[in-house]
Amino acid sequence: MDELLSIKGLSVAAGGVTLFSGLDLRLATGEMVAVCGPSGSGKTSMLRAVAGLSDPAEGTVLLRGSTPGETGWPEYRRSVLFMDQRPVLLQGTVRTNLSLPFTYAVNRERAFPEEEAAALLETFGVSSARMDQEARSLSQGQQQRVCLVRAFLVRPEVLLLDEPTSALDQDAISSVETILVEETRKRGLSALVVTHDKAQAERLCDRILNLSDYGASGEGR
Amino acid sequence: MVINLSPWDVAISAALILVSAGISIALGLKMEKRLAYASIRTVVQLLLVGFVLQRVFEINTVIALLPVVLFMLVIAAHTASGRPAFRFRGMGMLSFSVMTVTSLGVTITATGLIIGVEPWFRPSYLIPLLGMVLGNTMNGVSLATDHFLESVKEKGHEIEMELALGATRWEAARRPVAEAVRRGMIPIVNSMMVVGVVSLPGMMTGQILAGSDPTVAVKYQIMVMFLIAAGASMGAMGMVLFSYRKLFNCRHQLLGSILSRR
Repeated sequence: MDELLSIKGLSVAAGGVTLFSGLDLRLATGEMVAVCGPSGSGKTSMLRAVAGLSDPAEGTVLLRGSTPGETGWPEYRRSVLFMDQRPVLLQGTVRTNLSLPFTYAVNRERAFPEEEAAALLETFGVSSARMDQEARSLSQGQQQRVCLVRAFLVRPEVLLLDEPTSALDQDAISSVETILVEETRKRGLSALVVTHDKAQAERLCDRILNLSDYGASGEGR
Repeated sequence: MVINLSPWDVAISAALILVSAGISIALGLKMEKRLAYASIRTVVQLLLVGFVLQRVFEINTVIALLPVVLFMLVIAAHTASGRPAFRFRGMGMLSFSVMTVTSLGVTITATGLIIGVEPWFRPSYLIPLLGMVLGNTMNGVSLATDHFLESVKEKGHEIEMELALGATRWEAARRPVAEAVRRGMIPIVNSMMVVGVVSLPGMMTGQILAGSDPTVAVKYQIMVMFLIAAGASMGAMGMVLFSYRKLFNCRHQLLGSILSRR
């Protein structure tokens, strides 16, 4: 498999405290890697640093051999797309939120794929009839599904998912997990999935990265 | 001709305040001390200003004008940057620079170009005009900055969501920027909507009391409203745009952590 994303010597600090250091990871096209670790080990910070939303203390991230600066930060983030643990939707309808990325210069060559959006909503268990409903009036679980649909519509190459099923009921987790894996595989995407649930990591991903192996003191490396 | 006021005339107006203070005492409102303090401050501040302005008008040079203008700008900048709930390093200096360029720029355009005062810095024109422009710019700047910084702090997750989807820093910030500038403009737009209908503006009233033809006073007032609107809008836009540049770096990252609550 081709090497798509390469993380070299990544160290992340918060408030002057190093959360982890010396992290190397190569993510191949179509590969799904789970990121596990106890709370406070820097899982979310790692995804944010990989997405370029915050600077790492050290290290580089390369997409197809290019730094985000060479690729262009908006272009890079569209390709390496971070999704927050909380569903974040703006005030407006589901349609407004799904079409939001297509108002950006980085997507100017693509119009909002309305039919694909409706189909994906149905796939994720949200009726496409809700397209004109106020997005924030949906349940938290449905908002999270809308966020997943929005992420897929952007057609990234790598998904950075932070606890992607955290807002879902226990009953819904398994069905969304299945759809998530199916859509990711079908589209040939790679993914880094942060989860505190080891069983979920095993169900979703090809391999598991344990961040505590890269703790500040370097123990267990 | 203006009818001059004797100290006795002023004392009679002060007697009206005494009536208010008496009512406050009778009803136990405990407002009398504050009222007395505010009245004393009004007298002292205005007498001082009158004395300083008289001297500056007599000297009529840029050197005499400069300390007054500088004092006005420093106080206005300090007040504008002191009101927002959040702040960042260098905000006071930024506020001073923005207000100097916008308020002073607008005022000098008025004295030098529109009114054509000779010389352009004649203190009897420049100081009152600057005072009116600066007061409104200060309000516009502080309202807009407060709203922008609060939006960035409270809705940072929405801005970062947009950045994560591929938005540029400007695309992610444009909503809070536009809303902040709109908020900063509300007071002056409201005043422009009702000027002359709900209340007669102070400057126009002053000119009429001083014996000016009302049509001249009206023309001056229209000009002043435009100066104030220009100063307040440019000040609000300038401050919000420079704050935006402070809060987003060239890697299109939001630097929310540079904001601290007062």
